Amino acid sequence: MSEAPFEHLHPDDAERIAVSCADCARSDSAADELTPVDHMPIPVEALAGFPDGVPQVTRHNRRNFLRNGAVGVAAVYGASRIDWMRAFEAGVAEGAPANSQLVMIFLNGGMDGLDVLIPHEAGEYAAYQTARPGLGRPIGPATGTASGSVALAGTGGAFGLATPVLAGANNNDATGGLDTLWGDGSGGVGSDLALFPAVDYTPPNLSHFDSRRYWFTGSLENEQTGWLGRWLDTYGSKENPLQAVSISGSVSRQIVTRGAPVAAIRGLGNVGFQLTGASSSQVDPTGEIGTLSGVLAAPANDALNRSRTSYGQTVDVARKVAGITQGAAPPGYPANNSLSQRLQTAAALLGAGIGTRIVTIDWGSFDTHGNQRAALDPQLRVLSAALAAFRDDLTARGIEQNVLTVVFSEFGRRIKENSSGTDHGAAGLVWVMGSAVRGGMRGDHPGVAKPDNRGNLQVTTDFRSVYQSLIAEWLGGDPGQILKGSPFPAISGALLG
Amino acid sequence: MSPRLLTRRVHRVVRPAGGGPARKMNERMVDRMFWRAGFGPTEADRKRWTGKSASSLVEFMLSTPQRLVGTAATRSDGTPLQPHASDTDMVTEWIDRMVRSENPLVERLTFFWHRHLATRRSDVSPPQLMTIQNSLFRRFADFGSNPNATYTDLMFQVGEDPAMLRFLTGEDNRVKRVNENYAREVMELFCLGVTDAAGTPNYSEDDVRELAKAVSGWQINEDDPNNAFGYFTENRWEPGPKTVLGRTANFKHRDAVEVVMQHRSHAPFLITKLWHEFIVTPADSATQADLERTYLRGGRKLRPLLERILTHPLMFESLLEPNMVKSPVVFAAGLMRQLGLSIVDDRIARSLVTLEQEPYDPPTVAGWEGGLTWLNTNSTLGRFDLAQRLLTDTRITPQDVDGEAPAAAVDRAHTAVGRPWMAPGTRAALVAYATRAPVTRSRDREIRQRALRAFMLGGPDGQVM
Repeated sequence: MSEAPFEHLHPDDAERIAVSCADCARSDSAADELTPVDHMPIPVEALAGFPDGVPQVTRHNRRNFLRNGAVGVAAVYGASRIDWMRAFEAGVAEGAPANSQLVMIFLNGGMDGLDVLIPHEAGEYAAYQTARPGLGRPIGPATGTASGSVALAGTGGAFGLATPVLAGANNNDATGGLDTLWGDGSGGVGSDLALFPAVDYTPPNLSHFDSRRYWFTGSLENEQTGWLGRWLDTYGSKENPLQAVSISGSVSRQIVTRGAPVAAIRGLGNVGFQLTGASSSQVDPTGEIGTLSGVLAAPANDALNRSRTSYGQTVDVARKVAGITQGAAPPGYPANNSLSQRLQTAAALLGAGIGTRIVTIDWGSFDTHGNQRAALDPQLRVLSAALAAFRDDLTARGIEQNVLTVVFSEFGRRIKENSSGTDHGAAGLVWVMGSAVRGGMRGDHPGVAKPDNRGNLQVTTDFRSVYQSLIAEWLGGDPGQILKGSPFPAISGALLG
Repeated sequence: MSPRLLTRRVHRVVRPAGGGPARKMNERMVDRMFWRAGFGPTEADRKRWTGKSASSLVEFMLSTPQRLVGTAATRSDGTPLQPHASDTDMVTEWIDRMVRSENPLVERLTFFWHRHLATRRSDVSPPQLMTIQNSLFRRFADFGSNPNATYTDLMFQVGEDPAMLRFLTGEDNRVKRVNENYAREVMELFCLGVTDAAGTPNYSEDDVRELAKAVSGWQINEDDPNNAFGYFTENRWEPGPKTVLGRTANFKHRDAVEVVMQHRSHAPFLITKLWHEFIVTPADSATQADLERTYLRGGRKLRPLLERILTHPLMFESLLEPNMVKSPVVFAAGLMRQLGLSIVDDRIARSLVTLEQEPYDPPTVAGWEGGLTWLNTNSTLGRFDLAQRLLTDTRITPQDVDGEAPAAAVDRAHTAVGRPWMAPGTRAALVAYATRAPVTRSRDREIRQRALRAFMLGGPDGQVM
């Protein structure tokens, strides 16, 4: 289907999941959390130079600004530019270590880690071949149209990465990929990919929806807020909705908060409400909607409060995002691909100096019950090339060292294949990339030959152990405040380094 | 205002409007019924039902067979839609039914079944399988034609339905190659839920595997795509005893699904979901018990259950300030009815991609999450954009009225868009805008009129029902 005029991304991901939004928790909970969002319009031009320069006041700027907002807006700007700057800086600074940004990429549907990281040790490989007579990948480079698995250097020596994710293996267009990030697997310089081969929780729940909820909320209990949402509530800004952004039509449950503002952005440009054929001297739809969003509703009316709050946040976000431009696309991103577009939007936000700490991206369709080879490999190729391009993009913006990217899925898949695919399983592959991370094989592989009693990989790393390290070492803060049931067993060695 | 007065005001807003189904409906109540059980009222609906009882309207909805009125949708070049040649046309064709149904409940409930028993076009080819399934769902929504429709039959038929067999890979589920996909969703999404209200698991992983064996052996005959059907082949079926939810027998599909529906959690699961399609506040325990009795004693008949829900006084809760978010499909089909427009292009279908509720293409087998989550910083833009674009339709260009007072301009805009609900504070803000807006040239006046209409339909108040 063709896309609507203002849409930037193809809705080509087969399994876009509907996730929860910023104030679900607010709506679900007590009435004392139902105070309206505090709107703080911000001059668009200020963003372009922030935080390095003080915004220039031009006549256009002032007029635009006055037109956009009510009296309060002019007061903030006119009375003291410093106040606005201070408020905004405070929002950015509240997050403890300032230069750490986190990108969470969720692979939708339960990605088959065992089809990406292949055990090469003889006994293990034999068990793998027995379990996967149809799907099993040969050891060695791809030959012709057949895939292969190429042994990793250093700590990954007993394993091979499936060739679709490898550069220079005939099917990755020589664009660079995960193998480049892996480097020598030593954890030293140039070894910027950490692999955790079997991450989950016990006992595993094979439902997409339950398992996603657990991963997103960081809890096996019925938690309403996301694990990153709780971090934002505790350590984040109380005012800046761009501190955590889902590159999507809706906010990921990972960043659902109790009070802190967060945002969903599909792409950059063309923000704000527009009326076809109307000039700015005739009507300012964004400004008028801003006014309409401020009409009070009865506290118990979640739906109407939600509507007015959402419209109000759109106005806020539109005014801020209007100052950010995408810039030219760096080479290497797979063309015409929604993951590429989302990562480019993420890179622009992360590099804009607007206090963005967390970005979430949901992508792909990895629920490969059938036809797995044809369904999985093209996606792996895109993922690998797009992540490598993302890294180049961040490097060009001078912020690569500030960004950790985590890739995960709701579960792994059954060791034994079915007719042409795999059923839901447990213990999925998680990877963390960035020059800040200590690369290499960072978790134990449980062994294909030693499945759990349902024929799934055994869990060697609790997903909350990874979250715990991300909080303690990267985002900053006390994991005990965020993750119920902590401390969880520490991962072996520091995450960073 | 004193705290006491404030409390009273709020209390009045959220409380049921009072009066049972026999009470004569005012216009607000008619609007409520048509939004919640349909796609919003037309002026003709209001004329016909204001002053009548809610029970008479529910009786109409539950006994009037599907009939479309008005002008059928076309492509932008005026030619008929081709649902099997174009997915966009397939969506448009369904939206057109929603817009033109004399009895709106039929399409509303058909859409509910699609969301509940979700199947996705992007995983199902040929396209005919999707429309065959759509007709199946409609048979369980059109009680004028099928007064005795049961959920049992719906589950039996959807398990043997070609689109479902393809989407949840039931056609791959065969002896020694058991595929759990469909069986899991029968338990988790279609009949029981993972746990009961107390958090106790409703089934085990073993139950899923055993059920999967029982439902194996089905394939699709699609020699003639327009008449595709599912069929059972004995030697593809996993034979032998299976233990499903504690009952052991040599089950086949229907026997085993019947066992699942006999689970104590089935009635509460289905009823809760159906209730919240129409009503925000949860049913109290007495109502819930009554609904479960109605459903189970009636042999899982759907009509009596819907009658009980739709005639419940809570249908009219929070009438002064609507308290449910319109889904994108209800919003979009509703716009066409509010504006009195027939469909002449693919705009609605395309906008539903942006608004993330593309019929026939739910994001997952669980349908769309919906509810409050429909509204976020993207969907607000998309909804406003759809409304304001429809308002550029030359069939409804506003008449130019020179010298029109701001309040009169607001009232005229309100009438032109079908008098939707609007809070007093919203009206005041719009009058203030109309007072500020330039009106010197006729072009200015047209923009003011169109902007007012767009704010009413595409602004915050237009999103609740």
